[in-house]
Amino acid sequence: MSYDASLWLTFILIGLATTLPRAGFIVLGNRVALPPVLQRALRYAPAAALAAIIVPDVLVTAGDLEIFSPKLAATAAAIAAALWSRNPWLPFIAGMGVLLGLRQLLGA
Amino acid sequence: MSIVPQSSPHGFRAGAREGFVVFLPISVGLVPWALVMGMAMVGAGFTPVQAMGMNLIVFAGTAQLGTLPLIAAAAPLWLIVVTALALNLRFVIFSAAIAPGFRGIGTPKRWLAGHLLTDGVFATCLDKMMHVDDPPWRLGYYLAPAVWSWLLWQFFTLAGIFAAGYIPKQWSLEFMATIALIVLLVPLARARPMLVAAIVAGGSATLLRGMPLRLGIVVAICAGIAAGFAAEHREHQERRS
Repeated sequence: MSYDASLWLTFILIGLATTLPRAGFIVLGNRVALPPVLQRALRYAPAAALAAIIVPDVLVTAGDLEIFSPKLAATAAAIAAALWSRNPWLPFIAGMGVLLGLRQLLGA
Repeated sequence: MSIVPQSSPHGFRAGAREGFVVFLPISVGLVPWALVMGMAMVGAGFTPVQAMGMNLIVFAGTAQLGTLPLIAAAAPLWLIVVTALALNLRFVIFSAAIAPGFRGIGTPKRWLAGHLLTDGVFATCLDKMMHVDDPPWRLGYYLAPAVWSWLLWQFFTLAGIFAAGYIPKQWSLEFMATIALIVLLVPLARARPMLVAAIVAGGSATLLRGMPLRLGIVVAICAGIAAGFAAEHREHQERRS
């Protein structure tokens, strides 16, 4: 399969993995219910999945663990902005500002 | 047990008007997201047609942003789908919670409503959907914010796709996607068990990054869920003793 065709297949499958969880219970109505224990456990899935993608993204550079990097400082700035302000733009401005500023300073 | 207000609101248009007015200020938060989404898809190497195609097929900020690094790294398809499912799991709970609000509404409209379900729409509509009687009013109250979100999302993603072409490569736009995911994680991780789940999942994913087929991510997500569940259990016990 060509790259383009496999990409569209990927989109369709991600689309199914997106719409089915959302529409499932709304379409089925009150005919089925999720066991409470499973409901409680599932609440942790989004935070776990997000962190599993973010943390390696920040700490690993070109395959190697590199904890102290401009990316870590940028992450700290973005977290601080998200914690202390409700402005939706600020985390992006703070994070990208620190990342690009530090890279400029370090000459990387 | 249904509570019928004295002057029960009715009619699709009245519901749509009220839902739109309540949701409009909240919807502004979608704009930076959609712009970042557009730029991130271009950053992952998609053509504008591929990027808009993904945006139309997959209506989900988190699942889109979260799977982009995996698609860009040519990860196996099943792993991409499992990750998308994990990122969408919260909607199983939202869907179950809001389902009673669709009483008296037909199946095709329910599919549409399900496809358009987002965090913001869920938070805005849940309460009214439970307490108003008239089905057309409820459908209007739900669909107006939902369709408005969809339009904003498509428009500003397209704007982001075109803006990306004017931004130099050394600006590392792909990091915008990481920041977007961080912005989603921060409010979730305010509760301690959630923070535990995030730390365990993030740490495991980093340590296990060498596992074949990027299996480390799946193991890390499971470990995070287990850790969060255990932390919640401990919190309950501490409170009891």
